[in-house]
Amino acid sequence: MTLNNFMRVALIKAISLILVLLGVSFLTFLLYYYAPGDKALAIANARYIGEGSASVELVEQIRLETGIDRPFFVQFYYWALDLIQLDFGVSLISQEPVSEIFISQLQETMELAVLSLLIGMSLALPLSLISVWKPKSFIDRFAIALSSIGAAIPSYWLGLIFIFVFAAKLQWVPAYGTGSLAHLILPASTLGLWVLTSQTRLIRSFLLEASAAPFLEALKIRGVGPKELFCRHIVRHAFVPFITMLGLDLAYLLEGAVIVEVVFARGGIGSLLVHSVMSRDFPIIQCIVIFSAVTYVTINSAVEIFQWFINPVSR
Amino acid sequence: MNLFSFNYLSFQKCTLAQKYALALYIQTQTVFKKHSFFLLFFGLLIGLVLLGFAMTPYDPVETNFLNRLSSPSWKNWFGTDQMGRDIATRILYGAGWSVGLALIVSTAGAVIGMIIGLLAGSLGRFVDGFCMRMTDSFFAFPELIAAIVITGVLGPNTVNMVIALILVSWMRFARLVRALTGDIKQRDYVVQAKLNKLPYYLILSRHYLPNIILSVVVIWTSSWSRTILSISGLSFLGFGVQPPQAEWGAMLLDGKPYMLTAPHVMIFPGIAVLVTVLILNLMGDHFRDHLQSSEK
Repeated sequence: MTLNNFMRVALIKAISLILVLLGVSFLTFLLYYYAPGDKALAIANARYIGEGSASVELVEQIRLETGIDRPFFVQFYYWALDLIQLDFGVSLISQEPVSEIFISQLQETMELAVLSLLIGMSLALPLSLISVWKPKSFIDRFAIALSSIGAAIPSYWLGLIFIFVFAAKLQWVPAYGTGSLAHLILPASTLGLWVLTSQTRLIRSFLLEASAAPFLEALKIRGVGPKELFCRHIVRHAFVPFITMLGLDLAYLLEGAVIVEVVFARGGIGSLLVHSVMSRDFPIIQCIVIFSAVTYVTINSAVEIFQWFINPVSR
Repeated sequence: MNLFSFNYLSFQKCTLAQKYALALYIQTQTVFKKHSFFLLFFGLLIGLVLLGFAMTPYDPVETNFLNRLSSPSWKNWFGTDQMGRDIATRILYGAGWSVGLALIVSTAGAVIGMIIGLLAGSLGRFVDGFCMRMTDSFFAFPELIAAIVITGVLGPNTVNMVIALILVSWMRFARLVRALTGDIKQRDYVVQAKLNKLPYYLILSRHYLPNIILSVVVIWTSSWSRTILSISGLSFLGFGVQPPQAEWGAMLLDGKPYMLTAPHVMIFPGIAVLVTVLILNLMGDHFRDHLQSSEK
């Protein structure tokens, strides 16, 4: 019966997932369709750069070729058809396939994201656990101060300060560029500090919420010691909201990566996005926007299904 | 109406407008009593900023090349930037840009989100499904990425940035209001009002709005501070307020090349963002704690 129930929930989730994906692609196309400027002229100029301004005939030819003059829904249909086949076309600037550019840049962003997540979580977990285990201690106060200041620090400014202190004055690590692990340290610490502060704040509040649960009183009366109470009951109870938020924060890590990559002049999805927005390279913009949205939606659904298994209340 | 000789009989005789005025008066009084520290602090801060506007002898955009990149001194408290403009003055004017624009964005977002959330929560299942799937679709785009793309495609300037930020900020409000409204819809007084054929706009204004407004204010303060970070971040990337305007992110973008020789050019705008967002966050936390304690 429970499995049957699960199938029903999964079906509803799948339908709403499809609707949301449809909405996402529609919104992306809407932005592309209503972008100001003549797209055919832009393509012509980008393709035949250095030959002066493109001729009228050439622009007309490109307009016919790409179907820019066709009605909205016809264009949307063909655009969505390409999208389903994961065909994002070629970059307007470099004429290389978008998927190749994207995957090569994705690797750099993943390196940054994984390392900063490691740095952030390895500090955030012990910090928040100790802070709740020993309330009003020095570490507790430190955790509170860190999480409220960390939420207010602009990450680009923090990156510049790191460059100034560790790269320019102390000269421990190189400031800009990509390559070795040394190049990765400063960007990953900048993003890792963001992970650290936001996760400390969240895990701490989940643990506090769990330690206020009424069943803990009953366990205490039954003679469960404080250590066992904390490790077996409070931490386990805080685990469900923690997993939920972690999934969503993973998607937002991409957002933090944009600014950090630009500040440290690294390659990656973020700087690729900024550059292609500056040069109005629509195929690349679409690919990144759709990727980030689909990642978010997929993680969200995965978390919901995971919750269904781990938490009987949500069934 | 004399407030000092107030009793139940005179309340009966009041017109509706007077009753509202009285309720407002009593509420402001309690707010002042409970949050006197915060209000005093906030007032002091605003007073200091206004005093700064009145006292500063400098102009935020006028250049003075004889006094480029000078270090902090008594004449220029935070030093001058690469065009010889006084950084302290620019930070004061920047407060207008960041805080003011963020106020516009978060208020517009709150209004749009409230309208959509109320419609979704109080009308039928079809409207609910449509509104919430739309909200989910907007929510799927990470805020900053969507804002960069929208501003970049429409053309990087202040107006387009505000439009983009409003487009990415209303969903939080819509979700919250939808959840609260769905809960209120089940309550007896709403069911009774519906059975009594009370017009829809009156049900909205008398039963739904008063119940959701406080929670919306809490999210609104946090949205305000988030938006300040987004605005300065977008301006730093070159998509928002354009230099030479004195916005904090734009100042950082401007001063970045001179960072190594004159670090004060980049340190002070960042501190301004940090302090402002910190104060707003603390204010939001304070409101939330107050709301939670008054609910219990």
